[in-house]
Amino acid sequence: MAGIGKAHMRPDGDRVLTVEDLTVEFRLSKDKIVKAVSGISFDLIRGETLAIVGESGCGKSTLGKAILQLPKPTSGSVNFLSTELTTLGKKELRDMRPAMQMIFQDPVSSLDPRLPVSKVLAEPLKVWKRGNQVEIDAKIDELLNAVNLDPSVVRDRRSYEFSGGQCQRISIARSLALEPTLIICDEPVSALDVSVQAQILNLLQDMKDRYGLTLIFISHDLAVVKAVSTRVMVMYLGKVCEVAPPDELYKHTRHHYTRALVASVPIPDPDRPTSSQLIQGEPPSPMNPPSGCRFRTRCPAATEKCAAEEPQLREVAVGHFVACHHPNES
Amino acid sequence: MADETQTMPETVTSAKKKKPVGFYIAGSWIVLILLAAVFGWALPAPQWDQSFYDSLGVSPFHHSHILGTTLDGYDMFAGLVNGARLSVFVSLSAVVVGGAIGSVIGISSAYFRGRIDILVTMAFNVMLSIPNLVLSLSLISVLAFSDENHPATTARRVGVLILSLTIVIIPILGRISRGATLQWSSREFVLASKSMGTSNFVIIRKHIIPNVAPAILAIGFLAIGSVIIVEGSLAVLGIGIPGGASWGSMLANGRGNIAYSPWEVYLPAGCIALTVISCNWFGDYVRTTLDKRESKI
Repeated sequence: MAGIGKAHMRPDGDRVLTVEDLTVEFRLSKDKIVKAVSGISFDLIRGETLAIVGESGCGKSTLGKAILQLPKPTSGSVNFLSTELTTLGKKELRDMRPAMQMIFQDPVSSLDPRLPVSKVLAEPLKVWKRGNQVEIDAKIDELLNAVNLDPSVVRDRRSYEFSGGQCQRISIARSLALEPTLIICDEPVSALDVSVQAQILNLLQDMKDRYGLTLIFISHDLAVVKAVSTRVMVMYLGKVCEVAPPDELYKHTRHHYTRALVASVPIPDPDRPTSSQLIQGEPPSPMNPPSGCRFRTRCPAATEKCAAEEPQLREVAVGHFVACHHPNES
Repeated sequence: MADETQTMPETVTSAKKKKPVGFYIAGSWIVLILLAAVFGWALPAPQWDQSFYDSLGVSPFHHSHILGTTLDGYDMFAGLVNGARLSVFVSLSAVVVGGAIGSVIGISSAYFRGRIDILVTMAFNVMLSIPNLVLSLSLISVLAFSDENHPATTARRVGVLILSLTIVIIPILGRISRGATLQWSSREFVLASKSMGTSNFVIIRKHIIPNVAPAILAIGFLAIGSVIIVEGSLAVLGIGIPGGASWGSMLANGRGNIAYSPWEVYLPAGCIALTVISCNWFGDYVRTTLDKRESKI
């Protein structure tokens, strides 16, 4: 499942983003290099919600930040709205920034504790000189109303006076301020209560419909992913395992890693026998990944071939791609 | 969903809370010292550097010398007021200049990281590993060298004293601001600002400095305290400001007379102690008040 290849890329459609062979490496010392993302390719069609799932440390967040060039990826190409971002100069890259925004995992850390909400939301508008004070004020009220917060109540409050869910609403409002095309949501609901999660997910869905957004939704929670995405990409140790629409992925799980992930979703039924499919241990170190398929060290179906040869993504059903030498039968 | 907003508690700002007693005590002492430093010359007191041969070593509460005189006949009250002027001038200028330089270096090296940050950290650590007193002592003995034939002027000594104390302050506040900046610049709102296309300069000005300022301010108050102590220690060692012009210098001149006129020692020592304690207390107060609470979820 080391998963390379571009079989899952679509030749046509109104493409917003095309990522090819994206690699992000962090140099820790002279000969220690962490390969957080190793050769990921995918594309994103306007209006789509691509979910990127995987366990902690598999490179999901790094991938999201690398798309925004924060920091720039080590190699590979990021083509956003027909502009190649990796080779852009500082100024040109800055001009592209309003079209791509990000929502972060920690809602409290996402807001400056010293600034009242009105200033938090005014920042992007002022940086880009979108109108005078009156117009900016009107826009702030519009944004707060859009995320179901009462402007007259919240405008002058600071982040520490809000709950996590409210902070996340403000973050969403801020990311919408510049009317972006693409929003990368990095675990936007992981820090929230389940009841609040649902509100935020509904809100994201509403905003998506209302502003015609394209979303990348990074998460480790398969239940959440199922609710929001139109396409799911499963990552393991910086590589792609499986790409499929959510219903297909959950019904006909082909990759052994995805199966373990799906089996690990808790089901509220005490009589249900616990699954023995769960994989053991920790993922290997990204400093020294296994040869061939990166999942082979924890895979129940691993053979010698998996160590020798890196599996390529191939289509096993319509729109369902898997990078595995011995996929599950559906 | 929408009624979440209605249940929020009323804002409690720290300004409305009752201030602790210490705030008024420490505050009034600091205000008193500042007033003495600025308007001390207008007080109806004798000349501080003039010896009264008719009243040598009179004890405090004397009718013409309210805090007494030294064994050499110098008026204690006038000396203390003049000492306040010098101590405030020396410590404030050292801390303000040193703090400004240190903060600029600390904030920018922590924000931009890289090789320069490593060099800056190493330089700070080297400077911090030398005890304050030894560092200023050696700086003064080199820069304001004086012997019997070539005595250094008082102005030059004060200048060198301030310079050496400034150099002592730079790594202290530099490291504090570097640490605080590291913590704040890794927060996600900084990343969010970057992803909006805000320039680094604006991010530092709008997001980093306001959040780092309480830590710098708090340590700055503490630094004023320690600068006053260092100044006193240098004077006692005989290389500070000569002639009883500062509190430390008064203390140094009077310490031989402690058996005959103990107020010569206790009064300047008391001024130093009260000022240092007030500054420390204030520093703590500033830190706890300005550090805006953050909710934890």
